[in-house]
Amino acid sequence: MTISRRVFVKSGGLALFSLGLDPLFLARAAYAANLPAAPFRALSRPILVCLFQRGAVDGLNMIVPHGDPRYYSERPRIAVPGSDVIDLDGYFGLHPRLAPLKPLWDSKRLAAIHAIGSPDATRSHFDAQDYMESGTPGVKATPDGWLNRYCQHDREHQDTPFRAVAFGPELPRILAGTAPSLAIADLKAFGLRAPQPAARDRLTRAFEELYAGSATGLLSTSSQEAFQAVQTLQRVDPTQYQPANGADYPRGRLGKAMLEIAQLIKADVGLQVAFADVTGWDTHVNQGASEGQLAARLAELGQTLAAFAQDLGEKLDDVVVLTMSEFGRTVRENGNSGTDHGHATAMLVLGGPVNGGRMLGKWPGLDPANRFEGRDVAVTTDFRDLFAEVLARHLGARDLSAIFPGFTPDPTRFPGAISV
Amino acid sequence: MRQYNRMKSRLIPLLLTVVCGPSGLGAQARPLTPRDSALHALNRLAYGPRPGEIDRVARGGVLRWVDAQLAPDKIDDQTVSRREREFDVLKYDRGDLAQLYAEVQRAQQERKRMGDTAADKPDSSPIAVKGRRFAAQFQQLAVVRAALSERQLYEVMVDFWTNHFNVYFAKGADRFLTPDYIEHTLRPHAMGRFEDLLIATAESPAMLFYLDNWESVAPGSTPPAAMRLQARPFLGRRPGLFPPPRDPAGRDSLRQRALARAPKGINENYARELLELHTLGVDGGYDQHDVIEVARIFTGWSIRRPQQGGDFEFHDWAHDTGDKQVLGIEFERGHGMDEGIRLLKLLANHPATMHHIGRKLCQRFVNDDPPDGCVDDAVAAWQRTHGDIREVLRAILHGPDFWAPANVRAKVKTPLEFVVSATRAVAAEPDTTPRLAQVVARLGEPLYLHVAPDGYPEREDAWVNSGALLDRMNAAVALAAGRLPGTVVTLDSVAPVSADPGQLLAGIDAGILGGTMSANTKRVIGGQLSDISDPVQARALAVGLAIGGPEFQRR
Repeated sequence: MTISRRVFVKSGGLALFSLGLDPLFLARAAYAANLPAAPFRALSRPILVCLFQRGAVDGLNMIVPHGDPRYYSERPRIAVPGSDVIDLDGYFGLHPRLAPLKPLWDSKRLAAIHAIGSPDATRSHFDAQDYMESGTPGVKATPDGWLNRYCQHDREHQDTPFRAVAFGPELPRILAGTAPSLAIADLKAFGLRAPQPAARDRLTRAFEELYAGSATGLLSTSSQEAFQAVQTLQRVDPTQYQPANGADYPRGRLGKAMLEIAQLIKADVGLQVAFADVTGWDTHVNQGASEGQLAARLAELGQTLAAFAQDLGEKLDDVVVLTMSEFGRTVRENGNSGTDHGHATAMLVLGGPVNGGRMLGKWPGLDPANRFEGRDVAVTTDFRDLFAEVLARHLGARDLSAIFPGFTPDPTRFPGAISV
Repeated sequence: MRQYNRMKSRLIPLLLTVVCGPSGLGAQARPLTPRDSALHALNRLAYGPRPGEIDRVARGGVLRWVDAQLAPDKIDDQTVSRREREFDVLKYDRGDLAQLYAEVQRAQQERKRMGDTAADKPDSSPIAVKGRRFAAQFQQLAVVRAALSERQLYEVMVDFWTNHFNVYFAKGADRFLTPDYIEHTLRPHAMGRFEDLLIATAESPAMLFYLDNWESVAPGSTPPAAMRLQARPFLGRRPGLFPPPRDPAGRDSLRQRALARAPKGINENYARELLELHTLGVDGGYDQHDVIEVARIFTGWSIRRPQQGGDFEFHDWAHDTGDKQVLGIEFERGHGMDEGIRLLKLLANHPATMHHIGRKLCQRFVNDDPPDGCVDDAVAAWQRTHGDIREVLRAILHGPDFWAPANVRAKVKTPLEFVVSATRAVAAEPDTTPRLAQVVARLGEPLYLHVAPDGYPEREDAWVNSGALLDRMNAAVALAAGRLPGTVVTLDSVAPVSADPGQLLAGIDAGILGGTMSANTKRVIGGQLSDISDPVQARALAVGLAIGGPEFQRR
């Protein structure tokens, strides 16, 4: 009985919705009611692209503290030699394979922040990714992600099926929740597939009529969102896209996702929040230094971001790209020429509105006395301070405490990533 | 509490009227006919009906069929036993698979050392292809069993426990431990006693590895091997082959690194998930102190040579020798592995566990928001039978909530349920080609590949999104058109080729949708058929639309 009571009390806040009906369905229905019939035409407005490096990137080899001798003494086999580092401010520098990003730094459209991470001490990929996406470190029960909560609480832009898009087969945790969001595995293949356009259109119409007439609940609202998106995409014609300004995206999932994001941004379909992820950062063994495993991942990242900026051209003035990773890696290399799970890491902020050409955050140094649990880079910036700043100063979010429950946003703690 | 329940049950029909409109209410409120009951039972205890099955179950008596499903051992399942023999992966034990995996790893490292920079490209060496084929085959096996087995409820329960006791097929040693885990840990206990199932998972190498307990040791404990290492500085290597570092400092650092790699203390990962997910539930009344105490109790529960697919092993040297206290109950020191067994038995029969798992079962079989009455029935049966899973199921499946018209077709199919039910609806015969498993993955549920320990979700909001729905429609059209290689579809058993659209629609409604086809669906599919002259093509399109349409997404 005590248990039932606990369950009851817990669900009390949702009492309105828990009477046998799905809250998501009701909330989605409310959104759908406001969708205009006419195709959407966007004005210039801010866009946020989040890029998750899953597997915990080694921040110290991405943004290298080459001015600290400890970096070299702790990593005899995997430190990036000073002669290879692309210096940024005399102390930190880019990994050589991130060279394509240097022009963006020089034009003040790229900033980097070190010693950023979660207040939660977990070194579990699962938990740490979960926390970074839910935006509630230490609280597993949070049902939705912070990007979705932003969409829930800032409802001025609910007029397009493309407002929030994740590029991948599943809707990630960060976008889970009651606000509509699309999951697109392949923009070209989004929609019904048939050998000829006429057959495809016919199939699309048939399914649209089936769902419009007989679907109930979430099936109804989601299919409505899907067919609206399909309709918009027909106007865009994703098969015909050519990147501008000679931008050359690397082959692979990341390059494709960012190309498709650029395409949607330029198509003015109302994209406001986009998400992509890239794996391969869990470098426990043979991580490499200037060359090697991590270098290959960074090369892909650097080329992709540079191509994205080039492709967007002036549109980059409306866009901020934010990279994130669940935690960093050990300061000291391990016995397998790799690094193990650590604590703080580094993140990149790129785009026109960025207060770039600067290292952000407070660097705690590599002195063992200042390390987290004596071994990892300590967290001096709670990741929510950066995320909140980008939401507030770039997207214009007002209700930050609703987006990051249990966290009191304080502009004096914002790292200063966005020009004001 | 009670008042809340009554209010809830009164409000549901009212809200349904408002939200779903008159057609929704009409479909829900009409009492169930024997065919409706048969369809409902086949949708919940099974992965949907095969052609003709609704009538068969209705004729033989629905409750009789339910009870037969509750005794899977007595159901003849020769088709599946025969088909299982085609799956080579079952002929390999976890040691064999570990060896195969080690070979793949070695080949890959070799490639990398030779400067092959295309590390992202799938490895096309024969051994790597074989490894991938086995993994894919094992996923396909789940789909084939679900589609073809006569022991449908049993297969449904295997899927339930696979998610309840989730492991991740792509994490390190679980690449070769997972098949053994499904075959020999979960399947034998899927409809037995929960306590046995819980102990089996706790002792399984796959779970010990997945939730890191195999590396959880009492602080300060030293493995016997490391003691030897301290005595012999050469790490057991043959001198000469890898000459040891000459200077004492180098030797020290080697030793230090070896010791640094050795686990140094408890790992809470398994302890926490055991309480939160496997037994009591997140609100089950434990705190962080209990998590740590549970982790201390399970120190030493480990794996003998995990990289070789080794078995469970209890390491006395790693076990915390102090007294422990969990949920206020004393666990006196000095009982070694028995402390863990005692704890598992206690957890398996704890009221919070009964409630947590009873609720999950009601969520699976009755409604995403399970009625309290259903949970109460499940808990009562659990108490009465000391956690006999089939008696808990019997209580749910014979209960009024299961048969309440409001709960009929109240669930949206998961990708696995959608693909398997579609396969069954068109009487398809899948072979070992992993095509159907790939479709399940494309729809968002790659089997055995849910990274987090909570398993794939049960609620519809996790599965219904725009992209996923379009993909379901595409999969339905492809399946009906016979475009999925390795899956032979026999639409004749659904409906004969007919020039008469009315006859075709009636056949599809009865065979695939169990008579639930809405007037709108009839009109839309009928309209599509009007100008297609080839009756074979027309039938494939009609079946594809029916399976991809809204009615078939529910169960």
